[in-house]
Amino acid sequence: MTEFADLIVEDAPGKRVLLMGNEAIARGAIEAGVGVATSYPGTPASEILETLALAAPKLGFHAEWSVNEKVAFEVAAGAAITGVRALTSMKNAGLNWVMDMFMTLVYGGVRGGFVIAVGDDPDAHYSSNEQDTRFAAFYGEIPCLEPADPQEAREMTRYAFELSERLELPVLVRSVTRICHASGDVEFGKIEKPERKPVFDRHWKLPWRWNVYGPPGPVEKHRWLHGQMPQIKKLVETIPWNKLELRGKPIFGIIASGLGASYAREAVKMLGLENKVAFLKLGTPTPLPEQLVGRMLKSVKSVLVVEEGEPLVELQVRGLAKDMNPDVKLLGKLTGSMPPVGEINTNIVAHALAKLVKRKLPADQPRELIKDEIKNLVTPRSSTLCAGCPHLGSYWALKLALRKVGGKVPIVNGDIGCYEQGGYGIVGKEYKLSFSTESVRYPIDSPYETLDTNYIMGGGVGLMQGQFQAGYKDGAIVGVAGDSTFFHACIPAVINAVYNKAKGLFLVMDNEWTAMTGHQPNPATGITATKEETKLLCVEDVAKACGVEFIQTVDPFDLKTTTAAIEEALKSDKFAIVVARHVCTLQAQRQKKFVGKRMIFDRDKCTGCKICVTFGCPGIIFKEGKAGLDPILCNGCGMCTEVCPTGAIRVEE
Amino acid sequence: MKKEKTPELNLIIAGVGGQGSIRASHIVGIAAIQEGMRARVGETFGAAMRGGAVASHVRIGKGIFAPLIAKDGAEIVLALEPLEGLRNAVKFLAKGGLLLTNTHAWMPVDVNIGRAEYPTLEAIKGAVEKLGGEVVAIDATSLAQQAGNVRTMNVVMLGALAGTGKLPISVKTLKEVVRENVPPKTIEANLRAFELGFKTIQ
Repeated sequence: MTEFADLIVEDAPGKRVLLMGNEAIARGAIEAGVGVATSYPGTPASEILETLALAAPKLGFHAEWSVNEKVAFEVAAGAAITGVRALTSMKNAGLNWVMDMFMTLVYGGVRGGFVIAVGDDPDAHYSSNEQDTRFAAFYGEIPCLEPADPQEAREMTRYAFELSERLELPVLVRSVTRICHASGDVEFGKIEKPERKPVFDRHWKLPWRWNVYGPPGPVEKHRWLHGQMPQIKKLVETIPWNKLELRGKPIFGIIASGLGASYAREAVKMLGLENKVAFLKLGTPTPLPEQLVGRMLKSVKSVLVVEEGEPLVELQVRGLAKDMNPDVKLLGKLTGSMPPVGEINTNIVAHALAKLVKRKLPADQPRELIKDEIKNLVTPRSSTLCAGCPHLGSYWALKLALRKVGGKVPIVNGDIGCYEQGGYGIVGKEYKLSFSTESVRYPIDSPYETLDTNYIMGGGVGLMQGQFQAGYKDGAIVGVAGDSTFFHACIPAVINAVYNKAKGLFLVMDNEWTAMTGHQPNPATGITATKEETKLLCVEDVAKACGVEFIQTVDPFDLKTTTAAIEEALKSDKFAIVVARHVCTLQAQRQKKFVGKRMIFDRDKCTGCKICVTFGCPGIIFKEGKAGLDPILCNGCGMCTEVCPTGAIRVEE
Repeated sequence: MKKEKTPELNLIIAGVGGQGSIRASHIVGIAAIQEGMRARVGETFGAAMRGGAVASHVRIGKGIFAPLIAKDGAEIVLALEPLEGLRNAVKFLAKGGLLLTNTHAWMPVDVNIGRAEYPTLEAIKGAVEKLGGEVVAIDATSLAQQAGNVRTMNVVMLGALAGTGKLPISVKTLKEVVRENVPPKTIEANLRAFELGFKTIQ
């Protein structure tokens, strides 16, 4: 078995391997001789740095999981300022954290190649929104490269470093879930080893190059940025990923960017239109290759624009058409030919194309009717916490404590991480809208309905303060967050709570890993991205330094003590932090540190009360009026023995 | 199925997180590349959580671009779990396609808490047949136990898939790729698992 870490650093140009899009991006950076790579985990982009962290010790470059995306961006930018090639990667929402530095760094740019690799998530498979980060490149006036498949992801990332150095600007590589997490055959290129001794030169080609306020100041540096655009526009006319296929007499045209081009090619094939269409495949949605677009617009009467996300290409093409061919009919998201939200696929593009050429797609109506019938058989599979997850204990304790001392309508503010599954609910449940003018309490009748609010990293601990400052009195105010989220985004909010005298319970569910994105280490883990030991930071120590006076630490496997600590915190008249710490069960199993107990279920003692079911562990089953334990899923954590009121579940002596 | 001259296969490997469907789909993808074809494996997986629905779209052949199989476009759905087989067959199985499924169910929490019912294997078979599909069910979980490691169930299913003769990849290459892509300590069990699956179908 060839270890993946050895494969990914193999200098074997021409070798074809199966790589995930994220791994292909990492390989592109390896081939370009990246010197510093940084990231904060976020699906669908996490495997970019995971791969680079495997390669870093072998090739001698630096790879780190930074505390958040903003810091990651700055670390990479700092390296690029010294002329070293750097990459920072993040998920769509991660880019929001970096915008301050992003929008300012471009005023003067970089010296070493600087690549910003972003994994967008159309359809919000793993995200709280569908934002299209290509607009950030447009906004920041830098080029955006958008691959159509894993092969292009590798080639483009590698080229992005070269382009960045030529333009002295960061370059954004925008991927999407279906490339990040899709694997494909990728051909390796050569691994470059650029000799890059980090250098610093305050006035390199521009006065006060790295100090935006340094004379001539921001406006002149903005002018410099604008001055780069003609060169970018010229380059994108000839790069290999922008390609116009214009043969014979096409009846219509397709302009397709990134993954959209892959779907469009399939759709053309599906409809047998190969020789009837002019095809402009785009690899740079911004800036557009205006000459190529112009040639397309002048050759056909109508054009369908295909892209993942918002109509960035379409809007620009619309602007160009005004000068180049005002008569051309443009179709896309703006005209309703393509759906405005969600992700696209081959069928959606084929449907739009069929309409354009006035053709009916073959449809098997009777079969569709049968499908509608069968759909009732397809039982949903709701997302859950894992069997034996410490968060199950934390939520159970929180629920019991709130029932006792939480007041009429407590508010539980959620956050991003595994524990946010406490707010997903069960698939297919219907909710009745309320138009009440008073606070309303809803029963938590499934274990996954605990969280009342949930938006972004670190959002909950801020929201809870707003509820307090607004004077909310109808119930307790609670925020929850995980260890990685605490370090990522909660510290300023904790300081704010202390400084502005907010009160409420902040429950930190510390499982020592950034678990949801695939178990990356963080400051609470004690190891780095490259598995080196490092100082372990404690949430309690940080909270204490922030001025928090009520801090208690509990083990969520111990439900009684955890409930008691939460109760006390809820009754306290201070901003109170309870740290529920227990290592992630999956991680403990992987490290063979988890010793499951042998559980015994006594069917005679079970009264069928279903209290254990509301605990929410997937290891607990309920059949024919009685509960039970799934022998494959149950891993013997023993928490449910504390939940069962009749003693039907116990640990074997 | 397309003509032999341009072998192209659209295959979905469906299962539940933790069953090894992603590993299985990568084995098929790697084997296809080794035989000179292009490959796309589109995956849907999110949290590191166990127990979520996972489906890999495996596309091998020459002229393929998209990472996802079109509606009604899969010649085969290989299901490591019956309900996940049905879920994907309804959306993606082509008329005349094959659902090759393990018989061992992994109950969703929705069923465990009494909010939904799990369809019987007969109901699943009936449904897919109504759609013009063929269903072959094998007890891959038991075969994996027989092979000496219940976690080789995914490879039992790969063996069964090879046994159908519908893969445009040689059995030799597949076995070689299995050998290279499982933990060294489990190679023998995995190869036994492959054989057991293969023989059950052949």
